[in-house]
Amino acid sequence: MHREVFDNVRRGMIPAHIYNDAELFALEKERLFARAWTFVAHESEIPQDGDYVVRRVLGDSFIIARDSKGDVRAMFNMCLHRGMQICRAEMGNASNFRCPYHGWSYRNDGRLTGLPFHREAYGGDDGLPRSAQTLLPAPSFASYNGLLFVSLDPAAEPLEDFLGDFRFYLDFYTKQSAGGLELRGPQRWRIKANWKIGAENFAGDMYHTPHTHASIVDIGLFREPKAQKRKDGATYWAHRGGGTTYKLPPGGFDERMRYVGYPDEMIARMKDVWSTRQQRMVGEDGFMISAATCFPNLSFVHNWPKLPGSDRVLPFISIRLWQPISENETEVCSWFAVDSAAPPQYKQDSYQAYLMCFGSTGMFEQDDVENWVSLTTTAGGSMARRLLLNSRMGLLSDDRAVVEALPAESFHGPGRAQVGYNEHNQRALLAMWADYLQ
Amino acid sequence: MRKALASLPFDDIRHLQAHQFLVDEAYLLDAQAYDVWLDTLTDDIRYVMPVRVTTARGAGFDTAPGMAHFDEDKYSLSQRVARFATGHAWTEDPPSRLRHFITNVRTFECDADTELLVESAELLFRNRGDVNESALVSCGREDLLRRCEDRWKLARRNIFVDESVLRMQNLAVFL
Repeated sequence: MHREVFDNVRRGMIPAHIYNDAELFALEKERLFARAWTFVAHESEIPQDGDYVVRRVLGDSFIIARDSKGDVRAMFNMCLHRGMQICRAEMGNASNFRCPYHGWSYRNDGRLTGLPFHREAYGGDDGLPRSAQTLLPAPSFASYNGLLFVSLDPAAEPLEDFLGDFRFYLDFYTKQSAGGLELRGPQRWRIKANWKIGAENFAGDMYHTPHTHASIVDIGLFREPKAQKRKDGATYWAHRGGGTTYKLPPGGFDERMRYVGYPDEMIARMKDVWSTRQQRMVGEDGFMISAATCFPNLSFVHNWPKLPGSDRVLPFISIRLWQPISENETEVCSWFAVDSAAPPQYKQDSYQAYLMCFGSTGMFEQDDVENWVSLTTTAGGSMARRLLLNSRMGLLSDDRAVVEALPAESFHGPGRAQVGYNEHNQRALLAMWADYLQ
Repeated sequence: MRKALASLPFDDIRHLQAHQFLVDEAYLLDAQAYDVWLDTLTDDIRYVMPVRVTTARGAGFDTAPGMAHFDEDKYSLSQRVARFATGHAWTEDPPSRLRHFITNVRTFECDADTELLVESAELLFRNRGDVNESALVSCGREDLLRRCEDRWKLARRNIFVDESVLRMQNLAVFL
């Protein structure tokens, strides 16, 4: 079933209906989101013992809590007795969670501690031994640089193996000092668009920047996305993720980090935690990370708009989840992220820069979503089943690359990278999608 | 800054002026007459819309710490307005049809005679294209109006949206 769809996807001719197809969405739930690692939260969102947030993996709600001993856990948010949601808040601090139905209560590490009338109703531990009962833990749960991931597959490969070489690039976003990131948010909103479109866009769509985001350059908020500059960047794909970069003007590591607005004290901390190879990608190769996607639905953005009333720029980082709701609806969860050791004024300026550019009110984001909603709507009709979207940018008709991959001495990151407009990453992402579904 | 707990009588001239300010403003926002709207804001305007979160009763907070949808000053609002005029702001071209419904207006005296605190409820109806589903945003607003020469201007606005997860594709509109 769907063999032709997957074959077409792999050769870069995308059946348009994959962006609005209930049957394929059912397959995605069963074969992709029930197996892959998906992002749920960052450790900095639950800094104190007892802190928790409630997050979903598609339809499944999990309490992500730091228990009273400081261990971080992910527990299925369903009472063992009659299946109520134990925790109906989105965040907070609690030593216990008590079910509102019959009053079963659980410690913040998931252990069942209280059953009303335990002796009278169950005959005490002889009938229902409390000590053996805990909220269902997430089948697989792991973290990388404080990013917490859940997999519904108890036999999931280790998270580090799943991420593979993409970790090299993840560090640029999520580990700028030994203390790592702190996150704020998320802003959450629902868009009538298929989740794959945003994931593909962030993975590799440098081609849309000059046109979709022309207004941002027009008002002088951003100096970079001019067509000429964007195509000088490289795209890379490494195992489970890929992204886009900008080519920076000549200079060494420090000069180039300064060029995008990092203060010297932050640059010094990056040099402490980034490998020589990571520093060479910036300092020697001259490539600065921009947007990226980690399969299946976690994206990152790093940009450096101008500060108010000046030509100085300042970077911001956003992490976002494209949470699928249905084949034609996505909940966007967008966090502002900043290095925890950054100076307070930097954090404030970076936050303002984020709000202007991305998120529910962001001026980049607004125009993106308008396009994606339109695409999704059109993909739901019957004509879309006859249309193969051309996603072969960067390939000649005999599948040779238009632009050769960068040699290792010109691009120190792992995986495959090439300069200029192409859709290698979108194809890589969708080929992986096809592999999971088939 | 609020002087008394009780709102001003509805026939108080200050309440009538505050109410008229909000209704006139709603007209400008419906019409997307944003250049005129900017002129109704003081130069030190603070325009904030926190992210609401669901928390247990008694948690003591119901907004996401340190995160907002809007956290604006005059400069950032002016940039947003300037973008709509570029001809490349696709999200509002074709423009949305907007209707800002304003009700439950209550006006309070402030310590300073030149200021009024105004609370209102707002429902924004937004429709795009022909067959797209329309979207609603419901919120409460807490405004500080300041007397500037012969007219009132908006100096502070706190927008308390009634949803944790917005059901609108973006906030390329003002509330």
